[in-house]
Amino acid sequence: MTENPYISYDARILEVKDLTPREKLFTLRFIDPDVGEKFEFKPGQFVIVDIRGFGEFPISLCSSPTRRGYLQLCIRKVGRMTKFIHRMKEGEIVGIRGPYGNGFPMERMEGSNLILVAGGLGMAPLRSVLWYAIDSGKYEHIWLLYGTKAYEDILFRDEIIHLLKHGEAMNCSVKLAYEVESPSCIYLEKGFSDRVCRGVVTDLFRGEEFDVNNTYALICGPPVMYKFVIRELLDRKLSPGRIYMTLERRMRCGVGKCGHCIVGTSTSIKYVCKDGPVFTYWDALSTRGLI
Amino acid sequence: MRYIKLSSENFEKFFNSLKALGKVYGPVKKGNIYSFQEVQRAEEMSLDYNRTMLPPKKFFVMPRDTILRLKNGRWENGINDEPFVLFGVHSCDIHGLKILDKVYLEEPADPYYRVRRENAIVIGISCMPDEYCFCKSLGTDFAMDGFDLFLHELPDGWLVRVGSVRGHEIAWEHEELFDEVTEEDLANFRAFEERRAKSFKKELNKEGLADMLDLAYNSPVWKKYADICLACGNCNMVCPTCRCYEVCDKWLNAYEAVRERRYDSCFMESHGLVAGGHNFRPTRLDRFRHRYYCKSYFDPSAGFNCVGCGRCDEFCPAKIEHVKVLDEVRGSLQ
Repeated sequence: MTENPYISYDARILEVKDLTPREKLFTLRFIDPDVGEKFEFKPGQFVIVDIRGFGEFPISLCSSPTRRGYLQLCIRKVGRMTKFIHRMKEGEIVGIRGPYGNGFPMERMEGSNLILVAGGLGMAPLRSVLWYAIDSGKYEHIWLLYGTKAYEDILFRDEIIHLLKHGEAMNCSVKLAYEVESPSCIYLEKGFSDRVCRGVVTDLFRGEEFDVNNTYALICGPPVMYKFVIRELLDRKLSPGRIYMTLERRMRCGVGKCGHCIVGTSTSIKYVCKDGPVFTYWDALSTRGLI
Repeated sequence: MRYIKLSSENFEKFFNSLKALGKVYGPVKKGNIYSFQEVQRAEEMSLDYNRTMLPPKKFFVMPRDTILRLKNGRWENGINDEPFVLFGVHSCDIHGLKILDKVYLEEPADPYYRVRRENAIVIGISCMPDEYCFCKSLGTDFAMDGFDLFLHELPDGWLVRVGSVRGHEIAWEHEELFDEVTEEDLANFRAFEERRAKSFKKELNKEGLADMLDLAYNSPVWKKYADICLACGNCNMVCPTCRCYEVCDKWLNAYEAVRERRYDSCFMESHGLVAGGHNFRPTRLDRFRHRYYCKSYFDPSAGFNCVGCGRCDEFCPAKIEHVKVLDEVRGSLQ
């Protein structure tokens, strides 16, 4: 029998880092260096993590392909499987198969401005885009608009604060909106009064001007966020073809067989795992149920 | 296509010759229903059956299927690659397999499905429609390919269409069992097909079906039927093109586990559930409508995802009729 696409490759957990009380960052490396060498991915793609004997779950890659030699996954503890992996320690082994999905069309967007709009856990896949864009230096200017619940929930907080301070030197402007007030947030707001505010992610669009003919927007966040962010972008006359969003569904197999991620109606059926998870707003307009 | 004739007296010999190719499965009557079972003798089969409860997909995408075995911390393939013969498959079910092929053989091909498909010898058989059949409306009442041999009933035997190289080989090896087709046989074949075409009681209006359904997304008919529907998922289980599966790991003992696939149904609440509890199809109405959209999706290269076999109607405990729902949805647009 030829290669079985459902069999995962061994990867060792190099580091486990607490990002928030609910999310941990796992840094992994394939044990077989050949597999690691061949594993190439694009920002926006996902992998399936296999905890042998317990099950599998899909998760976005949050490291950038520009930083080779390891993979990073930001995992929120929400269910049985993620609870299990949260108990795992450095040195332990999990299976990884993938990468799956189409990813963001990074090459097509070269030379343009990027607006990354992240809500909550949506920061994870967009972090891959963020570092890819900064590292490659092939993009005009990068905005990161990040909406979070509270100071404790800011994912990759050190990196975000670093970019708030020094981002402009890397062509990157970070803006942050939080919902729950706390002394730390007020302190941040004092330091960066023009870029940190209390509110929701759409509030961060206020006062921002961008050249709609040379800009792409990339969105990831909870389902409720898409409608509002897209309205904000359309109001500024950004073409639906320049709005990319990455979606979540229950991807079991990752290769378009198991049927759980099917969306759409009789005129347009899409598998989120292989036709997506990145779609343009045009796709959303022609495929019901996408957002 | 090559046409040959198998006379009635040679039928049993022909059947027995197939046993050399592997286990033979054919339609067997059990109580009031038919199912594909392993058969030893030709007379065990009911070749005039209307439809089996589970379609032949059960041989390729199994209701419960151990795909991987965990040994010493590593997965090993758990695959059985014995050849087998599926005897007496109706045209609609052959089309059903072709739809599954599109999904499961598309890269990356599902290795389990592919091996079973390569190992299967498919022998089709002609049938007469009953009150549930609407395959003629969907163009799946006649199979042009997807089989090795196809037997059409004649008054004194069978007209055999040879549909593959393997079919040719089988006919070649047992040359003595087959005769040349006469003009009379062809006339009988045509007469049978004409009679069959006239026997359909149910018809699906497929004109602009995909667009029409899309336009009728908010039709009250969906709700009417979703209220009657028991959400039992029977229609998914018996459908020859439904193939959603769920995966789960099971420990056999302290050292060994298996990864098992099993049929899933889009009527189950868990089907559209993601981590954290968000459900993309939270109501029964959403799930009911989703199934109809999935079945009526029109792929320009492969047609609809429904073959008109009538199983979902026959085995629906709420007596919901597929064609009637679609007709009513269409009616609600005007």
